[in-house]
Amino acid sequence: MAAGSRGVNYHWNWGILLEPSPDGQGTYLDMLLGGLRWTIVTALCAWVVALVFGSAIGVLRTLQSRTAQWVAGAYVELFRNIPLLVQLFLWFFVVPELLPREWGIWIKQLRYGAFYTAVVAIGLYMSSRVATQVSAGISALPKGQRMAGTAIGLTPAQTYRYILLPMAYRIVLPPLTSEFLNTIKNTSVALTIGLMELTGAARSMQEFSFQVFEAFTAATVIYLLLNAIVTFGMRALERRLAVPGFNAAR
Amino acid sequence: MSMISMRNVSKWYGPQFQVLKDCSVEVEKGEVIVVCGPSGSGKSTLIKTVNALETIQNGEIVVDGVTVNASKTNLPKLRARVGMVFQHFELFPHLSIIQNLCLGQEKVLGRGHDEAVAKAEALLKRVGLSAHAQKFPGQLSGGQQQRVAIARALVMDPVCMLFDEPTSALDPEMITEVLDVMVELAREGMTMMVVTHEMGFARKVAHRVVFMDQGEIVEDALKEDFFGTPRSERARNFLSKILSH
Ligand SMILES: Nc1ncnc2c1ncn2[C@@H]1O[C@H](COP(=O)(O)OP(=O)(O)OP(=O)(O)O)[C@@H](O)[C@H]1O
Ligand SMILES: [Mg+2]
Repeated sequence: MAAGSRGVNYHWNWGILLEPSPDGQGTYLDMLLGGLRWTIVTALCAWVVALVFGSAIGVLRTLQSRTAQWVAGAYVELFRNIPLLVQLFLWFFVVPELLPREWGIWIKQLRYGAFYTAVVAIGLYMSSRVATQVSAGISALPKGQRMAGTAIGLTPAQTYRYILLPMAYRIVLPPLTSEFLNTIKNTSVALTIGLMELTGAARSMQEFSFQVFEAFTAATVIYLLLNAIVTFGMRALERRLAVPGFNAAR
Repeated sequence: MSMISMRNVSKWYGPQFQVLKDCSVEVEKGEVIVVCGPSGSGKSTLIKTVNALETIQNGEIVVDGVTVNASKTNLPKLRARVGMVFQHFELFPHLSIIQNLCLGQEKVLGRGHDEAVAKAEALLKRVGLSAHAQKFPGQLSGGQQQRVAIARALVMDPVCMLFDEPTSALDPEMITEVLDVMVELAREGMTMMVVTHEMGFARKVAHRVVFMDQGEIVEDALKEDFFGTPRSERARNFLSKILSH
């Protein structure tokens, strides 16, 4: 995109969005919105994976057991330090080859294989970051909280469930918001394994129509709107969960 | 049979540092024991071994007939029967006062919600905080929070109560309201083990005073004897220091 030389003569045509796309499914705008749908579904599913695994690993990091801490630490380092794109390729190209032959074939023939792979890869990558936040939240609580729960007879699992985690999540809600936004942005790497999410849809619109600026401007605006909605929603959630009289900076 | 019986209890932090040295204490049913001693002498550690918040390496602790440091002991069940009050209250900030008082009843004792609420309201009334049932801990003063913490322990119908410096994080004007609740509890015959430097409280309701220094129980005497003629030099020094303030 040498915009400097070409931009002068660039023929803007916003009407392109309403012209039919060659995939026969509607207009180019429909194509982008279809991409948006995949982006949202992939991000939501990956975020669920990230929250579930991240919370479990985050809790493991705060247990007394050295083994638990070591396992959780190794998990976080592994998934955080390998680039996301590499992890995506490993899950997509390498893992099926390592499995028993029939399983590998079954996986490769899955109708939404790229989607499942993206959910697993992005979800686990993000889970290492969620784990770091969750364990930081738990560690930020006064040591006496765990003791108070234990002292009234709660089991360790109940102490986490009813006392430590509810406060820890509240404390780390702002950083979790940005991790959720990162999850949405990271779904764009899935275009490399053929998932037609928003970035993928914008690129294919550009390939068919040659209207590169319209395609990516539209995609950019959609991403910004999506992030604005998420940020707004998370702020509302923060207000809803705010604890009366509790000063988070205690 | 004693309510709390600690026999030759020893505990180490790491291989070098022995925080409890061969400590033995008997607390009879209905007795109030005050534990005092200089900072770092092991008072908190001692009292926390009673409900196994701290483990021990040697000796034996029996609470109401249950051996605390036996591997087959159901610790959550035991802890539910031993009330504990902490220096920094440790109310659960995200739960309302009434929820703070219901959590243990419902999740540990398996009481129904209505029964738990009724019990909680009765105890809140007793500590004079009925009006605050729907508030959150952060909206109460320190003295009020500590009274809620006492009520949170009492709703479990404990057989004995442990207090770890319950007034030392409070502003002076709030100490009395908490001590009043504790005095009333003692007069009703609750078995209590209280770590405190409030010698006024000790004089008023304690039966015995245990004095610790450097992990040892240096003195275990009737209140009258302890304040009248403390036998050890260390206890005399300690007393003269805190009574001169
Ligand atoms: N987890 C731990 N690891 C190592 N040493 C510890 C630990 N907890 C406490 N100690 C040490 O054990 C000793 C006794 O501590 P403890 O809290 O029981 O004293 P205390 O008599 O309650 O003092 P204070 O009046 O300050 O509350 C102190 O020297 C303390 O530094
Ligand atoms: Mg202490």
